Amino acid sequence: MSLNNKTIYSVKKAGLVFLLITPAFLLFLLFVVVPVIQAGHYSVYRWKGLGPLEQFVGLGNFFRMFGEDIFLTALWNNLKVVILSLLLQLPVAFFFALLIGRKRFPGSMLFRGIYFFPYILAEIAIGIIWKFIYNPEFGLPTMIASFVSGGETKIALLGSTEHAFTAIFIVIFWKYIGFHMILYIAGLQNVPDELEEAAIIDGASKLQVVFHVIIPCMRNTIVISVFLSVVGAFNIFDVVWAMGQGGPVHSTETLVTYLYNFGFKRFAFGYGSAVAIVIFLICLVFNLFYQKYIVGESK
Amino acid sequence: MAKNLSIQVSHHRLSGRKRSSLKFLLGLFIAVAMFFPMYAVIICSVKTNGQVLSDPFGIPQPFDLTAFGLVLGKSGEFWGFLYNSVVIAVSTIIIVDLFSMAAGIALSRIPFKGRPLIYNFFIMGMLFPITVAVLPLYLQLRDLGLLGTQGGVILAEAAFGLPMAIFLFTGFFKDVPRELQDACQIDGGGILTFFFKIVIPISKPVVATVSIITFIQSWNQFLFPLLVLDNSSKFTIPLGIMQFQGQFTTGWNQVMAFITISIIPMAAFYFSAQRYIVAGLTAGAVKG
Repeated sequence: MSLNNKTIYSVKKAGLVFLLITPAFLLFLLFVVVPVIQAGHYSVYRWKGLGPLEQFVGLGNFFRMFGEDIFLTALWNNLKVVILSLLLQLPVAFFFALLIGRKRFPGSMLFRGIYFFPYILAEIAIGIIWKFIYNPEFGLPTMIASFVSGGETKIALLGSTEHAFTAIFIVIFWKYIGFHMILYIAGLQNVPDELEEAAIIDGASKLQVVFHVIIPCMRNTIVISVFLSVVGAFNIFDVVWAMGQGGPVHSTETLVTYLYNFGFKRFAFGYGSAVAIVIFLICLVFNLFYQKYIVGESK
Repeated sequence: MAKNLSIQVSHHRLSGRKRSSLKFLLGLFIAVAMFFPMYAVIICSVKTNGQVLSDPFGIPQPFDLTAFGLVLGKSGEFWGFLYNSVVIAVSTIIIVDLFSMAAGIALSRIPFKGRPLIYNFFIMGMLFPITVAVLPLYLQLRDLGLLGTQGGVILAEAAFGLPMAIFLFTGFFKDVPRELQDACQIDGGGILTFFFKIVIPISKPVVATVSIITFIQSWNQFLFPLLVLDNSSKFTIPLGIMQFQGQFTTGWNQVMAFITISIIPMAAFYFSAQRYIVAGLTAGAVKG
């Protein structure tokens, strides 16, 4: 191949690469990367989204944010979802997977479908369905309480600053448990039968098999499920929005509803962007930590 | 010793059967609990509003389809929402599939300078949530004149779908054996022939996976349409549900009929392609 040919070839190749990558690159740049960078930029200004960026406030937005009780409530609510998901939802999802994911019995495929189905429904629809179920006049909690007490007892879970968060967490639990179960069922396929059988013949109890054989073999699946659960928890919006827009009295505010309520609705784009940057940093730090200490070890 | 073992095994089998019917009962109990909200929606959509209020979770008496008639007739709002959702979902799927397939080919099969850099640039997008970019994105769409248009929603949704799709396509194309490419080149075909004749035809499973993930995300997407669309004639189904619910706070049977109808497309999609959906979502998640 002469040098000339080579040049033509590499020019052609460059053209081809350019042609193939440019559409995705431009779209991604314009609607993901630039906005993220802009969020960082806006976050140090006080700005209504119109006119020039003039009122530079440095880290003022961030200081202000951490002095706001509502913001701290939102942050704490997100952390509560993380904690409850890790301690409650994922173990129960794992139990579901063990229960119906392995030995086939009649109906196990149907059960799988039913457990998983909430995951594919729009969160908005789900929020409204549960708002109906929680209705203080005729809903399930009221029915149960009236039955137990024998008289008229009205329970307004979503109307109570004390219980609304729990009520919403139940919905999140219901909606996402099937997804994690499906991940675990997929992970269970990678547990070699022989290992399990060997452990049983050696006299291991059911629980011992789970903790010493199945869980270690499923490490990678669990690592992923935890990651998705944590990042997902910092993104909760639709369900909370549908069930009460962060209320009553901001008690169910999450970081994203806070961003929407205080950044977007009031056109405080600088402040809202600072909230976005906090969400970004939390996810980034978690991701770096996770990559370094958890994912690295499992390889 | 051998006798002992066989006793142990048969004992194990017996208790296994007992355990399996216990498991069935427990599984059934959980299924009933998990399905209850769905049951409530469907059952209330075929009641009169009076019965919804007095006996929300009981059997419909009489069985009443008025709510469906009202939702499906009356101004045809629902059909508009459905149409908008379909337009947005289909366009998003086409853009995501085409763009990420093209990028995936370049990133997996054509060595060039800066390739890892560009790959990581895209993959970075999987690490942070959509919401981080939402306010500036709104301004961006405003400056481009895309606010209030379906194009704005489509482009935003497609852009955020790219990282995962590129990740899946690149991974898949990487595994296409080098020998196939060589054989194709020996036969006189260029790299494009190789893609069109060999790679694209065998990449159906990834196209299916990417399309499924994109479809579910687009169909259920609430935040982007909420930000971008201002006119209810352009609303998608999730926005429509929200609006409808706000209008009919007392007409629960209509709200439930609306939700039931809106669930039907997704339910049909789910039950006809359950295996692929599960495979697609777990592939997407596990690879992510």
